[in-house]
Parts: sequence; C-alpha cells; structure tokens
Amino acid sequence: MDKANAVAVEAEAPGAAPAQRPARIGRSVAGERWVARVLRGGALISGAMFLGSLALEALPQSQSVHVAIDALRKSAASLLLVTPVARLVLSGAMLGLRGEWRYTLAAAGVLALLALAVSAGLHA
Amino acid sequence: MTVLLLIAAGGFGGLTGALLGIGGGVVLVPLLVLGFGVPLEEAVPASLMCVVASSCAAAASYVDNRLSDIRLGLTLELATVIGAIIGGLAAAYLAPAMVAVVFGLFTLYVALQILVVGSRGREPVATGYVPTNYPLGISGSLVAGGLSALLGVGGGPLKVPLMSYGMRVPFKVASATSNLMIGITGAASVASYAWRGHVKLQLVSPLVVGVLAGAYLGSQLMPRVPTAVLKRLFAIVLLLVAVQMFWKGGEGLWPSVWK
Repeated sequence: MDKANAVAVEAEAPGAAPAQRPARIGRSVAGERWVARVLRGGALISGAMFLGSLALEALPQSQSVHVAIDALRKSAASLLLVTPVARLVLSGAMLGLRGEWRYTLAAAGVLALLALAVSAGLHA
Repeated sequence: MTVLLLIAAGGFGGLTGALLGIGGGVVLVPLLVLGFGVPLEEAVPASLMCVVASSCAAAASYVDNRLSDIRLGLTLELATVIGAIIGGLAAAYLAPAMVAVVFGLFTLYVALQILVVGSRGREPVATGYVPTNYPLGISGSLVAGGLSALLGVGGGPLKVPLMSYGMRVPFKVASATSNLMIGITGAASVASYAWRGHVKLQLVSPLVVGVLAGAYLGSQLMPRVPTAVLKRLFAIVLLLVAVQMFWKGGEGLWPSVWK
C-alpha cells in the first residue's frame, strides 16, 4: 500500500548512528503528523468560516450582517494563505531538529525569496 | 443557484487537483471564464486561492499517509521560487505568446507520450524508491517556476511529469508532493494580487468551500485509483493545458485572426 512508501527510505539522515535511528524515526513521524494537523486545521477552519459567510448571506441584509460577512471572509482568506507558510516553517524546523540542516536552509530560502517577491510585487 | 453551481465547480476543481497534483487552476480558470462569465482578471486570483485550498486539504491527507515526499518538495520548491522570480523579472523582455506556444507544444508532447507509450513503461514501486537525477529535477523546477510566473499556469503540469519520468519518483508520490508544493507558491501569488485588491472574496467563498470538499474526496480516492487511470487523466488535463497555451499564444501572435 502507498502509505508505507518513500518515507521508509527517506526517514533516515545519511550517517545517523544506528542507536539513534528509532528515536529519530519516531520524531520524524510525529513531526509529519504535526505538519498534517497544521494543514488540515487551516483548511477546516477557513472552510468553516467561508461556509459561515455564505450562511450569513441568507439572513436579512443589514449593516451588521455585511460587516460580519466581510470580517469572516477576510479572516478565512488570511488563514488559508498563512497555512502553507506555517507548513513550510514547521517542515523546516522538524527537519532541522533531526539534523538535516540543508532542508531547513531550503525552507528558509523559500520563505525569504517569497517575502522578497511579494514585497516587490512579483508573481512567484 | 449560482452559489451552488460555484460550489460544484470548486468541488470538481478540487477533486481533479487533489487527484493529479495540479491544484485545479487549470480546470477552474476556463470553467469560470467560459461557464460563469467571470472576467479573467478576477478568475485568475480566485483560482489561485482555490489552488491554495486544494493544496492544504489534499496535502494534509498525503503527509499523514506518507505519500508526500517532504524533502524532495523542499528541494524543488526552492528551485521553483528562484525560477518564478527570474521569470517575473524576465517577463518584460520575453514574448509571453511565444513562450505559451512552446510550452503548449511541450505539454502536448508529454500528454501524447503518456497516452501512447506511458502505460507500457515500468512504474517504480511506491515503497523504497530513491529519487534520481536531481540536476534535472532542479533545473526543470527552475523552468517550471519561470513558466508559472510568465504564463500563470502553475507548476503542477510540469513538475509531476518531471518527478515521475525525470526523477523516477512513483506517479502517486509525484502527484502528492506536487500538491504539497503548489500551496506555498499559490499563496505567494495570491498575496501579490491581494496587495493590489484584485481578490474578489464573494467569488472565492463558494469556490473554496467546494474545493475543500472536492480535494478531501480526491485525497481519499487517490491511493485507491490505479496509477494507469491517474496517468490517463493527467494526460487529458495536459491536453487541456496545451489548448489553453495555444489559445494564449494565438491571441498574442495573431490578434487580428483571433478577433
């Protein structure tokens, strides 16, 4: 089954001492679970907020309803955009803790370049 | 009624995106423009937001199932972002129409390759594979990032075949890893649009609700669908991309003929 794939191979940093391997694998699995939780949490909460805004549209329209819809949608969109960034930070930190610094550097590089691109108004 | 149709359209985009690792923008932009009469300048940021939603919902399952290769994703992501910045800077000096035609020819070639000979090749097993040919993967990701910035196609249609055929990564792992990667570049692109006030949240709301449901369903289905079926679906989507690119190129190269 696919579940058991690649990570079985990629779970180990080359050169890790055999005695340290089970602990490192355990930490890696826990880290990946956290990455999945962050992604799922961000998607679910923002989805619920967008859905809530659609439900509010069915109510009689008033100024306060409009304000609530606008606030919900802006918060949902912001949360959705922050979620992949949080995933990247968490992935980089998780691999850094396992001593795989080159991936932490890659994650930091991606974040820095994206910040540069967004602030310069480029489409990355 | 329109809201329900937009949710359904989002669901279809999310399902396709999650199954194939392309985010769904390739499907959603023509659907919004041709089916709902949404102007292109509103459809593109809305579809990018859907790509982010699809990526988050699908990648959560794929990371949990260990189908996404986080390390490979990080390596190629860096190359993609560098390529996207170079593409953004080079946009002023290149003719996007010509680039679109070249990319259209490339996607057409890859689609035909998958449809005609792809199923005959041996698929690497999903357990115990090791990605090969990193120089090709990194340089291809640079090109994918550049094309993404120049043509707004997203990197998925290029990165999935690159990982699968160029780096000998199993197709499902390539698709799941692409799903993971497109979220971050999509978020950066949406941020650029949002900065200029081009994101219409009234349009985005029903789409994202549909996309999240579709992507969740797609992520549950993908491990069960045979790889050969996924490859054929991917080839069909690539043909759609090729048509879009030829259209874009034709409009740019021969505007009088197109009008």
